[in-house]
Amino acid sequence: MLNRTIEPALKEIDHIDFVAPKKYTVSGRTDLYHMKEVPNETSRFELYFDAGKAKGIDSIAGFVNGLLLSGTPDKNSIEINSQINALGGFLESGISVESATISIYCLKENLIPILTIILDAIQNVAFIEKEVNEFLADRKVGHNVSLEKVGFLAQREFQERLFGSNEIYSKALKPSDFETVSIEKLKEFHSENYLNGLEKVVIVGDLNESEIHSIIEATKPFANTKELSFAKDLSNERGSFAVSKEGALQCAVRIGRILFNKNHEDYLDFLILNTIFGDYFGSRLMSNIREDKGYTYGIGTMVAELNHTGYFMIATEVGKDVLKPTLKEVKYELNRLQTELVGEDELQLVRNYMLGQLLKSADGPYAMTDLFLSVEVHGKGLEFYNLALSKIQNITAERIQELANKYLNWEDMSIVTAG
Amino acid sequence: MIKFERFQLENGLRVLFHKDETTPMSVVNTLYDVGARDESEDKTGFAHLFEHLMFGGSVNIPEFDTPLQMAGGENNAFTSNDITNYYNVLPVNNIETALWLESDRMLSLAFTPKSLEVQRSVVIEEFRQRYLNQPYGDVWLQLRPLAYKEHPYKWATIGKELEPIENATMEDVKAFFKKHYNPSNAILCVAGNLELENVKELVEKWYGSIPAGTKYERNLPKEPIQRELRELTIERNVPNNAFYYAFKMPDRLHPDFFTIDLLSDALGRDKSARLYVTLKKEQQLVADISAYILGSLDEGLLVISGKLNEGITFKQFDNALWALIDELSANKLSDSELDRIMIKFRTAKEFQEQGLLQRAMNLCNYELLGDPDGVNSESEKYHQITTDDILRCAKNILTKSNCSILNIKADKNAK
Repeated sequence: MLNRTIEPALKEIDHIDFVAPKKYTVSGRTDLYHMKEVPNETSRFELYFDAGKAKGIDSIAGFVNGLLLSGTPDKNSIEINSQINALGGFLESGISVESATISIYCLKENLIPILTIILDAIQNVAFIEKEVNEFLADRKVGHNVSLEKVGFLAQREFQERLFGSNEIYSKALKPSDFETVSIEKLKEFHSENYLNGLEKVVIVGDLNESEIHSIIEATKPFANTKELSFAKDLSNERGSFAVSKEGALQCAVRIGRILFNKNHEDYLDFLILNTIFGDYFGSRLMSNIREDKGYTYGIGTMVAELNHTGYFMIATEVGKDVLKPTLKEVKYELNRLQTELVGEDELQLVRNYMLGQLLKSADGPYAMTDLFLSVEVHGKGLEFYNLALSKIQNITAERIQELANKYLNWEDMSIVTAG
Repeated sequence: MIKFERFQLENGLRVLFHKDETTPMSVVNTLYDVGARDESEDKTGFAHLFEHLMFGGSVNIPEFDTPLQMAGGENNAFTSNDITNYYNVLPVNNIETALWLESDRMLSLAFTPKSLEVQRSVVIEEFRQRYLNQPYGDVWLQLRPLAYKEHPYKWATIGKELEPIENATMEDVKAFFKKHYNPSNAILCVAGNLELENVKELVEKWYGSIPAGTKYERNLPKEPIQRELRELTIERNVPNNAFYYAFKMPDRLHPDFFTIDLLSDALGRDKSARLYVTLKKEQQLVADISAYILGSLDEGLLVISGKLNEGITFKQFDNALWALIDELSANKLSDSELDRIMIKFRTAKEFQEQGLLQRAMNLCNYELLGDPDGVNSESEKYHQITTDDILRCAKNILTKSNCSILNIKADKNAK
């Protein structure tokens, strides 16, 4: 008779294969990374530009990023999009405080034709008045919808408080940005940050050597020739900040502080603390605030990285009537991590969970490339993940407690609520 | 090509095995043939509430998540109007843990009062977060009952309103389990670098002794043929006027299903599609616009939705949209237009099939439709579609008497 109360024996993960993409030099500091080992027809290319939000004021960086394919003297935006769509390309553009990207997903046979269209569009974008006005009107519509969401309001306020010490990093999109932007400013930003701003090219897909070389030749003229400059010593504004939103049924919460990135010696161990606290379904916060109290659909924590620093954040949306008890429980869980040692069962659970997730994040060429890029940007190699493996295997309850006391003090946090 | 093996246990459980030698991970996916369409009208939102309760411990195991995380895995689930799907992704070496957990909750749940109370609150917060506290969040709560008069697609998965969730009792929950959660109503897919014999042995070990239960016979009210244009305008405190045009379309197994999928692509998949180019770029009527199908198993919907530009009236837009539809119903697409749609289809499919989880879910979906190999013949069916087929479907589907229109009027003083 099968005894269902006895769980099957588990096997430990003691080894993970990490595979690096091949590196080529485009020009100067600009590199191309190629992950060739793709067992099917799919491919992806990404262009990273040193054209993040912090490169300009009044949201100019975001506007230019959104207008990159808006038309050249020879082709309008409909024609550019039709050509890309006729080759089956799926386009994504993205911008963060410190970087801007253009990505295309397509079949490998279409990669170079699409890249050629995109590079021409970026090189020659004309910022045609009609296209610019339409784009700004659409952005405004999107922005007005966002302003109705408590999650957006809290996140915006949080960013302002988190980067409070830095005028440029802390600025979010504001209504007047739609009025003060001009064609001249767009052109100026584009020529300064895109025409000579290409930081990195990443290709995933089974392309041959000569194809890679033709991509290197095509992207070379864009290579970044300027020095990189990112904020070093950021500090967050401590204390509580409330944004009011009439009629909201829920209240969004963001709590966090400036922390560090992979270059800090405490980073890896802190990631384990972060997981215990709020980064998986069985975390302290989820167990307490969702699974025990039912205050929320979800609550989580994260560690985000910038070039020279990073930050820690707790995020949730809760019923308006349970905002106070939620904050009380978050504080309680922080305090518990600082005063009580994590039990061995829980520590083992988190070890196994994190190793499984690390195995998953190295699975397949796309995931593996992203995993590689997240160390490459901090000047590290894949050996960092072997270090992560051993840190996870050797973490102790004392170390978790030490880090909680060092980095998770309520009075160091920026606490934002919107609702 | 997705290779698979299929076998069935004596208790009726249908099992698919998909071998992938290239990954250290594995998937255990379980599809239960129950969705919001199987709820009674006074207890809507139940299938989804029940999905939450499936994580509250089973008869022999106090908690679902912890042992799976201990095995290095993670899991989630979703409920649609048609099905409820649970999946686990974990290192293949530990796949037995997922089979142990999934089989125990197929056998029976713990049914603790605490789990019901907590998940009731969580689902109410989910209702608020996703449907009530978002601009345009209640669209489907309004559009479904407009488009459907009899068929249970007239309510959303989350439920018609909060009350049935607030009032759900333990007896309701147990009855729902008994009716829908048994081997004869489930499809299991195991995917990863395993051997068929090994999979058979493990599945037989953990699922073989689960009682078959009574097969649920679905007998849903049939939606009467729509014969008139339906229109509803509601006022909400939202930034822009928004519109939703919902056209009835045939069920998932109908030969025209894929053709209408391509018709929706021609209308509004991307920035080269008819709606975007004509109504946005040329006529400047809308801020955004798109078209898509819901992909329902029973008679479904093709939806055109978007937001109006400032100063444009619903009437102006309506005239322009029907003019565009008239053109699409009078003349065939050009060959290059169909080529463009097909290359995007092919590219999207290649990417989709990269993921082990997606392959496992697709196999279960096709098994539910009657033939798991459908997953492999699907592309060929799409490729056979001609511009004549698309024209015929446009004529049949995109008519006023087949359409339900929901307009959301922006009003600062609305609730």
